[in-house]
Amino acid sequence: MKSWRAWIEPSLAVLIALGCAVLVLVLLGANPARALVALAGGAFGDRLALENTVVRMMPLALIGLGVSLAFRCGVWNIGGEGQLYLGALAATALGTRLLPDAPAAILIPVLLAGGALAGALWAGIAALLKTQRGVSEVLSTILLNFVAVLAVAWAVHGPLQELAGSYPQSDLLPEAGRLGIPPGLLRIHGGVVLVLLLPFAVWLLLFRSAVGLRLRAVGASPDAARYAGVSPEREVVRALLLSGGLAGLAGAIEIAGVTGRLFENLSPGYGFTAIAVSLLARLHPLGVLPAALFFAALASGSGAMQRVAGVPSVTVQVIEAIVIFLSVGFALAGRRS
Amino acid sequence: MPRVALRDIHKRFGSTEALRGANLELAPGEIHAVLGENGAGKSTLVRALYGLVRPDRGEILIDGVPREISTPRRALELGIGLVHQHFMLVPALTVAENLLLGEPLPAFLRRAELRARAREILELYDLGLDPDAPADSLAVAERQRLEIVRALARGVGVLILDEPTAVLAPSEAAALLSLLPRLRERGTTVLFISHKLAEITAVCDRVTVLRAGRSVATRPVAGLAAAELGRWMVGEALPPPGSPPAMAAGAPALRLQDLRVPGLGGIDLELRAGEVLAIAGIDGNGQGPLEEVLAGVLPIGSGTLEVLRPPLAVLSGDRQRTGLVLDLSIGENLALSEAAGAGRERLYRYGFLRSSELQRVARESIARFEIRGAPDLQARALSGGNQQKLCVARALGGEPRVLVAVNPTRGLDVAATAAVREELRERARAGAAVLLISTDLDEVLELGTRVCVLFRGRLTAVEPERRTRERIGELMLGLGGA
Repeated sequence: MKSWRAWIEPSLAVLIALGCAVLVLVLLGANPARALVALAGGAFGDRLALENTVVRMMPLALIGLGVSLAFRCGVWNIGGEGQLYLGALAATALGTRLLPDAPAAILIPVLLAGGALAGALWAGIAALLKTQRGVSEVLSTILLNFVAVLAVAWAVHGPLQELAGSYPQSDLLPEAGRLGIPPGLLRIHGGVVLVLLLPFAVWLLLFRSAVGLRLRAVGASPDAARYAGVSPEREVVRALLLSGGLAGLAGAIEIAGVTGRLFENLSPGYGFTAIAVSLLARLHPLGVLPAALFFAALASGSGAMQRVAGVPSVTVQVIEAIVIFLSVGFALAGRRS
Repeated sequence: MPRVALRDIHKRFGSTEALRGANLELAPGEIHAVLGENGAGKSTLVRALYGLVRPDRGEILIDGVPREISTPRRALELGIGLVHQHFMLVPALTVAENLLLGEPLPAFLRRAELRARAREILELYDLGLDPDAPADSLAVAERQRLEIVRALARGVGVLILDEPTAVLAPSEAAALLSLLPRLRERGTTVLFISHKLAEITAVCDRVTVLRAGRSVATRPVAGLAAAELGRWMVGEALPPPGSPPAMAAGAPALRLQDLRVPGLGGIDLELRAGEVLAIAGIDGNGQGPLEEVLAGVLPIGSGTLEVLRPPLAVLSGDRQRTGLVLDLSIGENLALSEAAGAGRERLYRYGFLRSSELQRVARESIARFEIRGAPDLQARALSGGNQQKLCVARALGGEPRVLVAVNPTRGLDVAATAAVREELRERARAGAAVLLISTDLDEVLELGTRVCVLFRGRLTAVEPERRTRERIGELMLGLGGA
């Protein structure tokens, strides 16, 4: 078996990208060692930094998990960002308007389920367009991102705006709807339990269930799957719904665990970075965790790098880009050999 | 002196001998047909002449001079051109640009000049092509004509047409055939590969018949009896190595009534339990649509298809595209039908895989069908023969009571072929109804309790008392009468 490649190649991609970053830093006239130490320090240097990184990792891991699942079925869900926004919107509407007085035992599950459902339905539009009208899901999911972001902007200026009415943001979720921070932690909220469990659930689904085998068969060869009695259309819809559901869940968790309220620019592009996460993880549900941690660390360390070493924080985007190129390159090379 | 002579050409691919002593001589300015069954070696012979295949033995003479043709470029230099079944045009470029592509041209050239040159060439052959039309806007027949003109414009004197009418509608085919004598008038030698007898008798001067990699006859077409050609093509009757299962007229298991889809014109068929109904025919006469409609992939146009004794399993004729998911493991391929909801719950419980059960089933299949691989090995890593065995294992794994097998032994070695055929016979004896769609006449005769022939989308039953290679060969060429 070539299972070693699954670990060696992503690590190699990260190392090469860091090597290139050193080159870029030298060209910028910075001290590369100092900059990279600052980057690492900003991501993992103290408890607060570490916990910030983990909090950033959570939406990346959840959306990346969904993206991987859809890719395994041959579906390119580029709409994680929009699905996250819709999930956040649904959770906020439920928590601040529809069920503000519910107890935590009811409200939290309802918020999370509502967010997941909203994300799934949003992706379901793309699924419907693809199976009924043959519209490429790449296009429809990208375009739906814009619609979702604008829908949130409208909501926080309109029906969901805080009752005080001063800022374009929603009211805070009631305390019963917040994911608490366990004692002894600074930032990491209860959502971490789901982030750690769901990759195993998706792994089970993909590799140990009949549904997963159908999804993967459709992804690898729709013709052969159809001959075997699988309906590729049905599996594509299923994959998009599950994928969107995970992104919507990430949005709900972001509201209930981090921000407490809805506002514009809620996500710093989690839905897009998650695609890179899933590529670096080689579409493996468990690989999504370390891959999400890596990208989260880059994001949270870049500010410190700018402060300490005087290097523009966008330098980390060079690293991200190279990792993406190399991940795709290795995947293609692996397919050919 | 012959324009082109291929002498005693031999070619082996792995364990199969594609050519074992093929001879072909083209006289200058003649239209020469090559006729043969699927797998007779027609394409290999043509590819050897065009430099795509290097013969193991034998020599090629061009105008009497022995030549080594190692690449298509070399073939073109020697004046030999091939028009493929799949066209080699750049879709985004215009007719004029495609025509002059690959010609020595100055680095910069004016569009008007380019068009003028192209128009000149096109007028020379008078083929009604617009030099400014983009190639992807052309109909199939026009693309083919463009390919032909392009070859001629490069100075090709020997033009190979590899089953040129297979992709054309009947009226287009007639237009192409009428073009060939005009080429001959200009002195072009045409090598025409076909298995359509009517086309050969209509336009060709001579015909060479290939059978099992050998050239068995070369004759002038004029005055040749079609039945004789059919006999040369399929050979003398040999005693079949095994005999078909004895007819035990069971209950009807599969019934098609006036079934029509594009490519099939009204199929009536009743398959009974315990028999093997073998459908012979040359590829492209409706086997593809028939397989797809039985597999449930192609919707029924009109008519009815009833499976009276389910389940029905299809052993696909294209193991790489539709038979297997190459990126999945052997075990996963075996589990796929059940995961799709067919058959009993055996490998899955509550939708989740019973890994040990799958391992056991996979090992059993691997041992029984002698597949060289472990349950976790990707199907892609298997050789063609082993992939085919895996397909057989999967089709039979669901204990089908109707089994549709399409070219089940294509690409298998002798031992594996015998094993698969015995398996099909065994299934029929055990009461399954087997529909065998095969282009291999030996297989049809060896297995078929009854034999039919598919020709141009229609099914003709072979009368039991006239069940000979000769008769089937006639029907395969559409010589239905008497």
